Amino acid sequence: MFWEKEIETIDKKELEKYQIQKLNETLNNCKKAPFYKKVFEKLNIEKINSFEDIKRLPFTTKQDLRDNFPYGFLTIGLEDVVRLHSSSGTTGNPTVVFHTKKDLEEWTNLIARCMYMVGVRKNDVFQNMMGYGLFTGGIGFHYGAEKLGALIIPIGPGNSKRQIWFMKEFKTTVIHILPSYALRLYTFFEEMGIDPKKDLNLKIAFIGAEPHSEQIRRKIEELYNIKAYNSYGLSEMNGPGVAFECPYQNGMHIWEDNYYVEIINPETGEVLPDGEEGELVLTTLKRTAMPLIRYRTRDLTRIIPGECKCGRTHRRIDRIKGRSDDMLIINGVNIFPIQIEKTIMRIPEVGNNYIIEIKKENYMDKLYVKVELNEKTFNGTLTEIENLQKKLTEELKTELGISPVVKFVEASSFPETEGKAVRVYDLREKE
Amino acid sequence: MAYHLSIFVENKPGKLEKITKILAEKKINIRGIALANAGDFGIVKIIADNPDLAYNTLKENHFTVSKRTILGVRIDDRSGSLHDLLTILSKNNINIEDCYGVSVAYNKSAAIIIEVEKFPEAEKILKENNIYILTDEEVYSI
Repeated sequence: MFWEKEIETIDKKELEKYQIQKLNETLNNCKKAPFYKKVFEKLNIEKINSFEDIKRLPFTTKQDLRDNFPYGFLTIGLEDVVRLHSSSGTTGNPTVVFHTKKDLEEWTNLIARCMYMVGVRKNDVFQNMMGYGLFTGGIGFHYGAEKLGALIIPIGPGNSKRQIWFMKEFKTTVIHILPSYALRLYTFFEEMGIDPKKDLNLKIAFIGAEPHSEQIRRKIEELYNIKAYNSYGLSEMNGPGVAFECPYQNGMHIWEDNYYVEIINPETGEVLPDGEEGELVLTTLKRTAMPLIRYRTRDLTRIIPGECKCGRTHRRIDRIKGRSDDMLIINGVNIFPIQIEKTIMRIPEVGNNYIIEIKKENYMDKLYVKVELNEKTFNGTLTEIENLQKKLTEELKTELGISPVVKFVEASSFPETEGKAVRVYDLREKE
Repeated sequence: MAYHLSIFVENKPGKLEKITKILAEKKINIRGIALANAGDFGIVKIIADNPDLAYNTLKENHFTVSKRTILGVRIDDRSGSLHDLLTILSKNNINIEDCYGVSVAYNKSAAIIIEVEKFPEAEKILKENNIYILTDEEVYSI
């Protein structure tokens, strides 16, 4: 069950040597980027001899990426860059990651490794229900599956009946799907009179892109009679393929030949030992166009101590506990409350007060935006409110990429607060 | 020109009651009321005997409220009289935005409150057609 047995089961001492070598290569390479050039001019670090030395390197944050938009982290000329991926633009500049051909090959290889690990082979039919485009989830898996040699149905998300039709007609064996959508999709099977356990050939689901509980995974496995594997990734670290579950489903192996892993105390920056929960910090070891040093993912997790029964020596991270900032993940789409706020503020007929509520409805996340009317511009007609409702819904949809429910409420319906207003109410069940 | 108050309300139990309560506390008499809703929210229109006080009171209580000019029109209390009135307006291409009946036993006649787009024009046309327009005092004391 190994895609690259030698590297996946590498001896700890060998891995350490390999990582130190790659860290030094990365360090030398990153100094070509305008941002790191400045950073390292002040620091007198020429070479890394041990993991202790790494602690002397500064962290890189998402804010650094934004502040140095667009090319501040690029080590090479654009002629060697072949693709970019980008997060949704939030407080200003989006986070953009650039790739050379070699970077894409490495990323693709990692995904192929992940898929192979849980049993995907070239005779499989892989239906990719993740979004294609700037989002890394769809394209990342697409190329990984292609490298592996599976037949890909690049269907993308949505249109449930068509999804089911493809699954049935082409005897899909592997799917890549948002966990919330897997549950939602199931309700369509009932409607269409198809039993996914009997009428389909499914065996594996890759679920990810949004936090989900062990209970949800088990439920998906039970409903479809398949194995569902959790994955971890973020666009700054390519996307999916950073860490992945093996058939033992006990933590995600983080590919330490590609990433140097640290868990830190998010408050102090102190590196924590295995087993302790903290913020995941990653350093790319092989990326050429845009290497990142000690990148703070803001994802909270821990390293699971001990060895895995599968024989892979790469350590495992636990299910992500949450984000250390205010980002909301709604049906897999990253949303910052500030995006909603700035959209509301653009429309003068809408007042300044607002509340964001996120609820689970039919297993899917639903975003509610409650706003008030601007009493100064209110003319007293129903039509104007209805038009305003449509306008705000459209503008939010454009800004966020998902469709919210906009509700106008009376000013008195907003909670009275002293000091900082609480505007976000995540009412999804905490699992 | 007379006006009524147009108030934004959420379509929830107790919301209307809050309006009537704060108006009652100021001894404001509601002479006419009409409701229109669009699902989760609606608009309440109120004719009050003291519209300025009512307006200010609602504002103080953080209601989103707007003054809207109206025409109080007297029509005969008989079959077809509303139709006659509407015919005059439509013939002259005047669109009614809102319309509600206030009292069906007003000096053997009825009072209709209408909101139109073209105000002075509508008033002029109605007068030319010998339709009685209530004075402001009459509207507020219907």
